Amino acid sequence: MAVKKANETYEYLPENYEEEILMSRKKSKTGRESEGGQKLNINSLMDILTIMLVFLLKSYATDPVNITPGPDLDIPKSTSLLQPAATVTVTVAKSSIVVDNEPVTVVKDGKVEASQKRGGEDAYFIIPLNKALVEAVEKKRRLEAINPTIKFDGVCTIVMDKESPYRLLTEVMYTAGQAEFSNFKFATISTAG
Amino acid sequence: MGKRRSQGSGQDLDMTAAMNLILILIPLLLTSMESVKIAVVNVATPQIGPSSEANPPADRPDDKPLKLTVALTDRGITVFVRDQVIENKDDPLGPTILKIDGQEEDAEGKMIDAKVYDIDKLVEIISDLKDANPAEENIIITAEPNTKYKYIMKIMDATREKKDGEKKKTLFPNVVLSAGIA
Repeated sequence: MAVKKANETYEYLPENYEEEILMSRKKSKTGRESEGGQKLNINSLMDILTIMLVFLLKSYATDPVNITPGPDLDIPKSTSLLQPAATVTVTVAKSSIVVDNEPVTVVKDGKVEASQKRGGEDAYFIIPLNKALVEAVEKKRRLEAINPTIKFDGVCTIVMDKESPYRLLTEVMYTAGQAEFSNFKFATISTAG
Repeated sequence: MGKRRSQGSGQDLDMTAAMNLILILIPLLLTSMESVKIAVVNVATPQIGPSSEANPPADRPDDKPLKLTVALTDRGITVFVRDQVIENKDDPLGPTILKIDGQEEDAEGKMIDAKVYDIDKLVEIISDLKDANPAEENIIITAEPNTKYKYIMKIMDATREKKDGEKKKTLFPNVVLSAGIA
């Protein structure tokens, strides 16, 4: 029954309004549970994401060969199944040569400039590349002196763009050979299987 | 007790946006990531000193060492065995295997018609050589200075092993790269 007061119009609250409010609260609580909507426990989802994140970080950090493909560096495919190893890495892209993330020299049109080579245009010996490689070898030898289990094995990983000419490859291999590297691993994208 | 629990969890905010991100975007990104496996090919520089090339195989002591050499040129592939060219019957002065018409990827990644190396014929010849010299595992690969690296890789793949349906036949896995033909 509505009782109108002089300046207010509102519904007259029923006498048992407190009980009704409690009842409706209880109902809504159960209602929410049966809907399964708003009170969502996302702990398990956060667990999944955290574990996925940790796993991806781990696999990214422990991968011995880090290649950033792009227009500058497109490595060829191969059916080889051999696993890469953690060694000194020489990356020969279309525009530069990088040794272990340190740029060493510039490449233009698949050739290293004659001024960077000892002996001119037709030479095979690339001076800055050799310097960087000799430093890397020295570092490894020092490590070997401290820790006899690490042996310097003369292995160098070469990551090369697939459009590079053979001449550049022989120059890099010759220069690396002069820096005491005798075995090479060419990084490729595995197409086997 | 009920009141405290509902106040402590603080679930008044709308989780739809965050849940969209978590349940839809991240799995979508994961599935679209291409997981590329990096493999390596072992290559050695020419060894100075005695090697299996210098010593003839035990069962045929009178044979000269095989010295199998595959040279990639602009016109095709030339195969040398025991310092002698395997001649192409149609073109004795030319390469052993001429380039054939085929399709290859150009700089943008499109397939275009071009003259390509006849890998199948090369595998045939190499396979026959392997049957004749089963103990030999070394091969020398060389090329003209302007040959692209991807062709070298293709040839290395072709001469490493041959797939016969399910069976894999090892051909010449020990590769030595020699300086280009000047």
